[in-house]
Amino acid sequence: MNRWLNRSVTLVLTALIGWGVWSVLHWLLLAADWQVVVSNLPLYVVGSYPVDQRWRPLLWMIALVVLIGFTLLGPRRGPLQRWLPLIWLAMAPLGLWLVAGGMMLEPVSTRDWGGFTLTLLLTFGSGLLALPIGVLLALGRRSRLPVLRLSSTAYIELMRAVPLIAVLFFGQLLIPLFLPPGLEINRVLRAVLAFAFFAAAYIAEDVRGGLQAIPPTQREAAAVLGLSEWQSLQLVVLPQALRIALPSLTNQAVGLLQNTSLMAILGLVELLGISRSLLANPVFIGRFLEVYLWLAAVYWLACTAMALLARHLELRLDPLRSDR
Amino acid sequence: MRRRSLLLQVGVSVLLLAFLALLVNNLAVNLLRTGLGLDFGWLGRPSGFALAESALPYTPSDNYLWALTIGWLNSLKVIAAGLVLATLLGVAAGAARSSSNRLLRSLAGGYVAVIRQVPLLLQLLFWYFVAFLGLPETPIGDLIQLSNQGISLLGMPLSVEFCAVLTGLTVFTGASIAEIVRGGVNAVPRGQWEAFRSLGLSEGLGFRRIVLPQALPAILPALTSQYLNLAKNSTLAIAVGYADLYAVSDTTITQTGRAIEGFLLLLISFLLLNLLISGGMAGINATVLGRMRRSR
Repeated sequence: MNRWLNRSVTLVLTALIGWGVWSVLHWLLLAADWQVVVSNLPLYVVGSYPVDQRWRPLLWMIALVVLIGFTLLGPRRGPLQRWLPLIWLAMAPLGLWLVAGGMMLEPVSTRDWGGFTLTLLLTFGSGLLALPIGVLLALGRRSRLPVLRLSSTAYIELMRAVPLIAVLFFGQLLIPLFLPPGLEINRVLRAVLAFAFFAAAYIAEDVRGGLQAIPPTQREAAAVLGLSEWQSLQLVVLPQALRIALPSLTNQAVGLLQNTSLMAILGLVELLGISRSLLANPVFIGRFLEVYLWLAAVYWLACTAMALLARHLELRLDPLRSDR
Repeated sequence: MRRRSLLLQVGVSVLLLAFLALLVNNLAVNLLRTGLGLDFGWLGRPSGFALAESALPYTPSDNYLWALTIGWLNSLKVIAAGLVLATLLGVAAGAARSSSNRLLRSLAGGYVAVIRQVPLLLQLLFWYFVAFLGLPETPIGDLIQLSNQGISLLGMPLSVEFCAVLTGLTVFTGASIAEIVRGGVNAVPRGQWEAFRSLGLSEGLGFRRIVLPQALPAILPALTSQYLNLAKNSTLAIAVGYADLYAVSDTTITQTGRAIEGFLLLLISFLLLNLLISGGMAGINATVLGRMRRSR
């Protein structure tokens, strides 16, 4: 770049950044009042969960943090490393049991679930449901049977054409209509179901990309070894396809976490929903900026942690770099 | 083998049909029970609600169909403006990330890193409640006037809600487009940069005339999916009270209770929108690729 132009760009940018830093500092030191965040911290973490039972969601979140730390920083080999994926999978039912209760724990109604706990449960629950549905849809779309192929394609394309908020809203209204009379499911479960049906269509396309990247020789080799079609899919094709699809699946997972915020529009009190009700409280009127900055920091941290974990998994699964 | 696959096919069809029949049966039972049948007659009845913003004349005594059309036009307005602005911002930020000025490069990098990890809905609320509703009354010359009642640009009044949705969509989608542009630009061999520099072309001219045209075939398909995302994300406008298609549908369904018909209409409108965007992009793609082939 021309030297003078380069210098003037640097000068203008420095002035802009300086102005930005100055006004942020000015606001932080003189105008900001973090009372709205500090005094409502328990609400942000566990929602209106019964006070004497709050240790349950807290215990789950501590377990998650420990698991994240162990995954990222723990030893690369050892008996525990082998079981790590299974332990991760077990975190969803564990969280559900701890938060919902039943089986030796006092049941807590979904109306009292909220805050970051609800955000995490929604993400985990819908992600775990969406992954198998997505894989089945991807396989269906590549099936030799026209009925299966056409119905999977139609489902994926229709789902991808509608906005998420519409799927969630109509999920709340329509899922009860498609159930037999007498069978009722609560609002949180309906949200998780609708969310999973939506995400499955996107996951299916990512998995399909992975499947397409597997050369046909892999299947042929499996057939020569005498593996049945099902075995070849399960042992040869899918593991490789999922590994290839991992980066885009990570993006989906981060998107899933961010999109749980849409449930606030439907009246669930996850992170953003709690904030909306707090901002409606006359005591905290006008404290938008503090709340939004705090929420942005929480979401940013959670998303970054997720991306780091996935990056770690990617490196471990890479056959060229892993030292297993 | 042939017969087995035929049998399998029949089996799968029967299973699928049985599942669909079960769903439809449940639906029919539930609709009968609640006294609602599939019916579109309500579209002709007066809506009774006012809309803050309409491109064509509209009053509460107009019918639901017209209200939905106005909502569709409002959506179209914010989507079209968003597409143009997000593309400009995205290309600028993407180009800045491969700039030789380090400050510019890291500023663009920081923009992308922050914006992509924060939910769009949160950003929209920020733009609406903090940025636009907090605007002090500032006339900038005669042509631009800012206030928390709205913005007047060259005599054209823009509502606060419209501005907030437009800014949110632009900034959010711009970050994704910047990543796509960077990926496409990185795919152009470094030799091309060295070649135009040795020919004495300026950095900006070389980027526009040499690098960008070669990066376009890699950029365009990914750009299309970002455009579709922007269109779908525009429905979050309901959170700040902009009367877009989804917000009008929501009010309509709450008033009439016609959830299934409302969903079908919304589905059709979005299929139409998607067709419009992907059709337009396919045209652009064909022109770009055609021009490249001719010039070779």
